[in-house]
Amino acid sequence: MSTTIDSTRFGRIEVAPDSAIAFPHGLTGLDSRRFTLVARGADDAFVWLHSLEDPALALPLADPRRFFAGFAFEPADGELERLGIDRGALAAEDAAVYVTVRASERLEDFTANLRAPIAIVGGAGYQLLNQAPAAELRAPLFAELAAAERAA
Amino acid sequence: MLIITRRPGERIVLGDDIVVTVMEISGQTARIGIAAPKELPVYREEIWEAVKAENQAAAAVDPSALPPVPPATPAE
Repeated sequence: MSTTIDSTRFGRIEVAPDSAIAFPHGLTGLDSRRFTLVARGADDAFVWLHSLEDPALALPLADPRRFFAGFAFEPADGELERLGIDRGALAAEDAAVYVTVRASERLEDFTANLRAPIAIVGGAGYQLLNQAPAAELRAPLFAELAAAERAA
Repeated sequence: MLIITRRPGERIVLGDDIVVTVMEISGQTARIGIAAPKELPVYREEIWEAVKAENQAAAAVDPSALPPVPPATPAE
């Protein structure tokens, strides 16, 4: 049985049962524990993490490796252990790592949160702190644009 | 708020399965040890607040605000 969400952003969306992603620990500051990924176009740079419980709750996510060449994801061993995530599973082919996107009126002010990426592992999602030193809380998503803006 | 004075090495027990230990105090810094069930998240407050703010900012994004594809990056 697929479920349906009447998204306030995207209208009616059919969600296949195996597309549901459980966030056993939720997402800090947001009140939902079941989500799905909504892609609007095959080549879209962003996907939406859409709540299955709240039709108005969705976050744009980006693949950090598409925007940040030197992106490194280093979750702490203690946190992985606490959450019961196997480090090998995190590196598996079907595991995915995304970062949340903060939009702005100007493209050069868009940022992504590299400090707390969202890992999707075996049908479950976790927001994990990234200990990599360069993992900024608000990393400019379009860094070249931002640099050009500063130089201008 | 409950306020309790503790010396290094002393503990506070919360409920049945959380123990907070003052490990060491040095100047303005206290090292705290926390033993809690694995499923209980423990965060430094400023990080928790920062991640919360980014999550809520992302949840406020309107789809029309996003560019359809990343703009071409300038050639090196």
